[in-house]
Amino acid sequence: MKTAVHAEWTKLRTVPSTGWLLIAVVALTVGASATATAIVKCPATCHADTTKLSLTGIMLGQAAVAALAVVIITGEYGSGMIRVSLAAVPRRSALLAAKAVVVTVVVLAAGTISVLGSMLAGRLLLPGNGFNTAHHFTALSVLHGATLRAAVGSVLYLVLIALFTLGLSTALRDSGLATAVVLCVLYVIPLVSDVMLSSVWRHRLDRWAPVNAGLAIQATRNIGKLPIGPWPGLAVLGLWTAAALAGGWIVLRLRDA
Amino acid sequence: MTTTVYRSVRPVGHDGFGQLLWAEWTKLRTVRGWVLALILAAALTAVVPIFLASTANDNGAETCVRGLCQAEGQVVATGPEGGAVIDSFNFAHQPLATDGSITARVSGLHGSGPALRAPAGFPRPPSIMPWAKAGLMIKASTQPGAAYAAIMLTGGHGVRMQYDFTHDVAGASAASWLRLVRAGTSVTGYESADGRHWTEIGTAVLPRLIGTAQAGLFVASPIFEVAIGSGDGSVGIGTNASATFGHISLSGAQPGGHWSGTQVGTPNPGSGPIKIAVNGHRAVKVPMVQAGSVRAAAGTITVAGSGDIAPFEPIVDPLHVSFFGTLFGLIALITLGALFVTAEYRRGLIRTTITASPRRGRILVAKSIVVGVLAFVAGLIGGAIALPVAAHKLYANGWRPPVWPELSLTTGIGLRVVLGTAAIAAVVTILGLAVGAIFRRGTGAIIATTGVVIVPLILALVLPLTLATWLLRVFPAAAFSLQAGLPRYGQVNNVCAPYHSCFPLSPWHGFAVLCAWAAVALAGAIYALRRRDA
Repeated sequence: MKTAVHAEWTKLRTVPSTGWLLIAVVALTVGASATATAIVKCPATCHADTTKLSLTGIMLGQAAVAALAVVIITGEYGSGMIRVSLAAVPRRSALLAAKAVVVTVVVLAAGTISVLGSMLAGRLLLPGNGFNTAHHFTALSVLHGATLRAAVGSVLYLVLIALFTLGLSTALRDSGLATAVVLCVLYVIPLVSDVMLSSVWRHRLDRWAPVNAGLAIQATRNIGKLPIGPWPGLAVLGLWTAAALAGGWIVLRLRDA
Repeated sequence: MTTTVYRSVRPVGHDGFGQLLWAEWTKLRTVRGWVLALILAAALTAVVPIFLASTANDNGAETCVRGLCQAEGQVVATGPEGGAVIDSFNFAHQPLATDGSITARVSGLHGSGPALRAPAGFPRPPSIMPWAKAGLMIKASTQPGAAYAAIMLTGGHGVRMQYDFTHDVAGASAASWLRLVRAGTSVTGYESADGRHWTEIGTAVLPRLIGTAQAGLFVASPIFEVAIGSGDGSVGIGTNASATFGHISLSGAQPGGHWSGTQVGTPNPGSGPIKIAVNGHRAVKVPMVQAGSVRAAAGTITVAGSGDIAPFEPIVDPLHVSFFGTLFGLIALITLGALFVTAEYRRGLIRTTITASPRRGRILVAKSIVVGVLAFVAGLIGGAIALPVAAHKLYANGWRPPVWPELSLTTGIGLRVVLGTAAIAAVVTILGLAVGAIFRRGTGAIIATTGVVIVPLILALVLPLTLATWLLRVFPAAAFSLQAGLPRYGQVNNVCAPYHSCFPLSPWHGFAVLCAWAAVALAGAIYALRRRDA
């Protein structure tokens, strides 16, 4: 297992796209978060959840995280490398586990930098926009209970999205198909559920769709009114991730490469 | 000795553009996954909007009693063209025979004081609302929704002639003398800067203007609305305006008639603050505390009033919301467009393609045409199935006239939605293809294309309104205004929030933004293909 992880790490490290994608994760997350916090002005929108607002960029950064997770497995199917990999690591579950470990580590690292950068941008920009003591706001602090939960949860959210995508891509094998399905899950379902005119279905999707439920971890205001609580929401995403990984593992075991 | 150069007896092969198109079509139709992607895109485009429409049962509680409806917390009347209208203003009027005219000089249009009950932290309304109106009107009766033609000074849009709520014609801005001339069912509006030289603005033909009508002086000032956050909330307060009318002359009225003052319609909002909650939208409207008035003194009449005379634009656009479901099919098409190029790089087929057609730019043009036409057909089939069924489901769920128009493939809006869905499908697919040719990687190209086409839309729902509006002006997501199911009017000044599928750009302007992106990307792709090794 240790050698399998080492091999995966070498593969990931030596592909040029990895570095670019990790830079994209940080740049997109911090850039979008900073833009969102720079634009909001307090007298107009004082009710804003400043923590959630400072983490807006996660919505963009997750695309680069997903791209990384798609490429790490479908790239091998596309080039035929998968046959070499399986010859070297015949235990297929070990191969998938090794990929999962490597993805988790790099996304943890990039996610932590992104979230810290976003929170720092919020801490620096928000007071100038009226979110200050005059309007009963304290500066964002990662050490504050709910904010800490939102920050740590956002990093975990990115990791779960990466593992979910990895499982899905292992099951689907084709990079185009996997990318399309992941984009529908990451963007179109939240978009449609946000505007749809059926409160019953909106409530269902907010509780059980991966992204809607997972992002509940960022909320720090009106938690009692959320369709699903922060940690239960992240747990729903965890269930989806477990299901995707299990699906990928079954397909990897049963199908010829 | 003479040598004969050998020449093949076979005809020279053609490398015309037709052959190139045929080659690309053959490539596409022989890959099973791509054909399935097209079928899937058409199916998703049809099915998801129908599902969203059939579950859309949280309507704005439209209830109608004898032509007066309550929709989204506001009282609306039914206009002469069948649509819902806001018709509330202060009117000093006299009966007018079938032929006659009214002339007056309007001066001193101003807003009268800030509303007293504005919520704390609420921005102050402007001293005069841009669409505050003061002028002359000939109206079939004082019933709300009755046919009318009016000529007016406005707070910020100069002289206008408006009739039957939806029609709005601009005049010159410097005039202060106004005149309306009625001849049967047609009313002509004139303006003048000095009361001697008159310019015609336009003629309205009003089939419902029959028999004795009411002619007079009116003032209205609409609600001042401000969006909160991403536009998912709004606060509106009533405003008031007044104006003085002098040099009044009326012909065609009974001799010795006197001006009677009428508050037409219900002041909107009514007596107390109303709270509106529709589809996650929280709106509060605070009424104007001053009542309208008509005061006559020394040959002049001063009218003060509140309200608006305009089409009613509901907050929620249920058809547009349903057609957001076409985004699933759009992702399938983006994937097809990108892979149509990147698969050639992965397999090395691109070298064969370039050998067969050495003029490289034409390859991408041929690919764009083939994939664009097929995407258009997929979008057209999906949209043409989705629209009638979705419109029927929405009607059954209570989204009905007069507030929500009944749409079909033959109405202007319905046709625009279906053709727009197909056009968006075609151009977005070409954008995906161009990005694919630049990136040469399927995953990156699909994500980047989705990132500029769809992600701005979802960000616009959560970000503050200023940023959201900017996103939907600059990014190709602007094109989704082609799928709007409600008519929008320039003379209505509602809060326009992407959260309620109100787009800052008009349908065709939005589509132009998408086309510009696709054209620039395609030009870049052609440049890259010519300059780089394959």
